[in-house]
Formats: sequence, C-alpha cells, structure tokens
Amino acid sequence: MTCGDVAELLDAFVDAELPAPTLLAVARHAGACPACDGALREVSSLHETIERATLADAEALDLSGVWPAVARGIDRIDGRRAWLRRVRPTPVWGVGLAAAAAAVFWLLAGPEPTRIAAQRRPNNAVIDRLASDGGRFQIRSDRKSGTTAIVVTPVGYEAAP
Amino acid sequence: MRHVPPPVVLGIAAGALSVLAACALSQALEVQITSVHAAEHGGSDAELVALRPRLRRLVGYRSFRIVHRESRPCRWQIGEAFEIPGGRLLRVVPKTMRDQAVVMQVKLLDGERALIDTDVRLQNRGVMLFSVDQDSRVADGALVIMLKAED
Repeated sequence: MTCGDVAELLDAFVDAELPAPTLLAVARHAGACPACDGALREVSSLHETIERATLADAEALDLSGVWPAVARGIDRIDGRRAWLRRVRPTPVWGVGLAAAAAAVFWLLAGPEPTRIAAQRRPNNAVIDRLASDGGRFQIRSDRKSGTTAIVVTPVGYEAAP
Repeated sequence: MRHVPPPVVLGIAAGALSVLAACALSQALEVQITSVHAAEHGGSDAELVALRPRLRRLVGYRSFRIVHRESRPCRWQIGEAFEIPGGRLLRVVPKTMRDQAVVMQVKLLDGERALIDTDVRLQNRGVMLFSVDQDSRVADGALVIMLKAED
C-alpha cells in the first residue's frame, strides 16, 4: 500500500465503505506514514464538520405545519372520493335492476303525447247555479254538438194567466 | 270669457251624448232569443232543419216551429227582459266575459215565480236551450227557448 493508494481510498476509508482487508491495510499505512495520517484526520474532521452542520440545519427545520397540511390534503381527496365509497357497496344486480326498471318505464310511457290545446266546443255551457221555483228541472247535454239544455217541468202551482 | 250661444251648447251636448250612447251600444252583448214550439206531430220549419237532430236529442219531440224571435243588444250588468210566448219573460243579465265565455244570469219568469233561475257561462256565440216541458200553456208539446249570446 503506497501513499498514492491511500490518497485514492481516503474518502472510502472515512466512510467505512472499504472491504475489511483494504480498510486494515490503509489503517496500517497511515499509522506508519504521518502525511497520510494527517490527510486522514483532515478528511475525517471535514466529514464531522459537515455532519454537524447538516444535523444543525435539520434540527432547525420547522416541520410543525407539514402534517396538518398533509391531513387537510387527505381530507380533500377523501371528500372527492366519498361518492365512490357510497357507490361501491351497491351490488351489481341492484344497478341492473334499476336500469331494467328505467327501461320498462320508458317503454310503458311510450312516445311523448302530442299536446293539443283544449278547445271548447262552440256551444259549451257551464252551469254554476240552478234553481227553480215550482218546477222540476233536468240538465241535458248533447254530446255531439256540446249543446246544453235546461228542461223544466212546472209542477204544483197554478200558472199565471 | 266669450259667450257661447245656447243652441251651440245644446248641439255639443247632444253630440257628446250620441257618441256616448254609440260607445255604450258598441260594448253591449248581442242576445238572440228564439222561441220554438216542439210537438209530437207536424212538420218543422225549414230554418230549423239543421238544428232538428239536436233538438230531438235534447228535447225529444219531432216537430219544431219558430213562434217568436228577438235579438237585442244587452249592456253588461244591465238586465234585459225578453217576452216569451205564453206570457212569460226571459230575463238576461250579462255579467262579464271570462275565458271567451259570457257569464250571465238567466231567469225564466212565470209571473212572480222563477221557473228557471241560473248562472251560466256560455261560450261566446254559443247557443243553449231552455225548455218548458208538458207546458199547460201549449196545447201539445213543449216550449223551447234558444239563447244565443255574442260579444
């Protein structure tokens, strides 16, 4: 193991990424070589400094508003999918039955009837009140012409002269 | 103020009254009353040939003859009495026009008595019948009164 080999393996040694024999060989070389030992200590110090700085930054982060915001987002999505949750329990046969009922209703209803404005017959008469003083009356209606007749039969009194 | 001669004033007043009367009459309802004698035997008036099947269905006789006819403008809310053969009166009071129907009160009076007293709504230009059956005033048959109202 030479100083050049250690220089190339320096970062991997500090990160403990080297296999054990190589890691041991680098450590033996640095123990005997003050220059390589200094370089190792410098890199290790640099790593520790970076780690501390990163930890300090991570601890300084305010994450208190993150989870409430996430929870609100989940609620919104749940609201949008609520109808799906209601539909899902409906069995397939229920949907089929509803479709069949709609089809039967549509068939029985038939085509929409043509709307014709109701026209009164030319002789249409509506009797709102009818009384007779001394007569027996009948109301007759002729279906064909729509004519109405009030027929009175005088009874029980002497007709005026 | 200028002095207007009395004849001119009278002329203007007469003219105004004439115009008012003409306006009143133009807003009147035309009521036509036709009295028909219905009997079991005999012929029918040619004028009633078209109406005969309808009269037969409604009144039930075979012979129909017009005995009296009168047509008169009737003002709204004002009663008009029509003489009917046999000494009776048909009193018509047009009330208003509603949905193309003439709303009116009709009374068939026999002296003090109202043989018929009715409130009807008759289609404008329509005809309805009033019949006095087995009428003692008629030797045989019935008296049929046809009422037509036209605005």
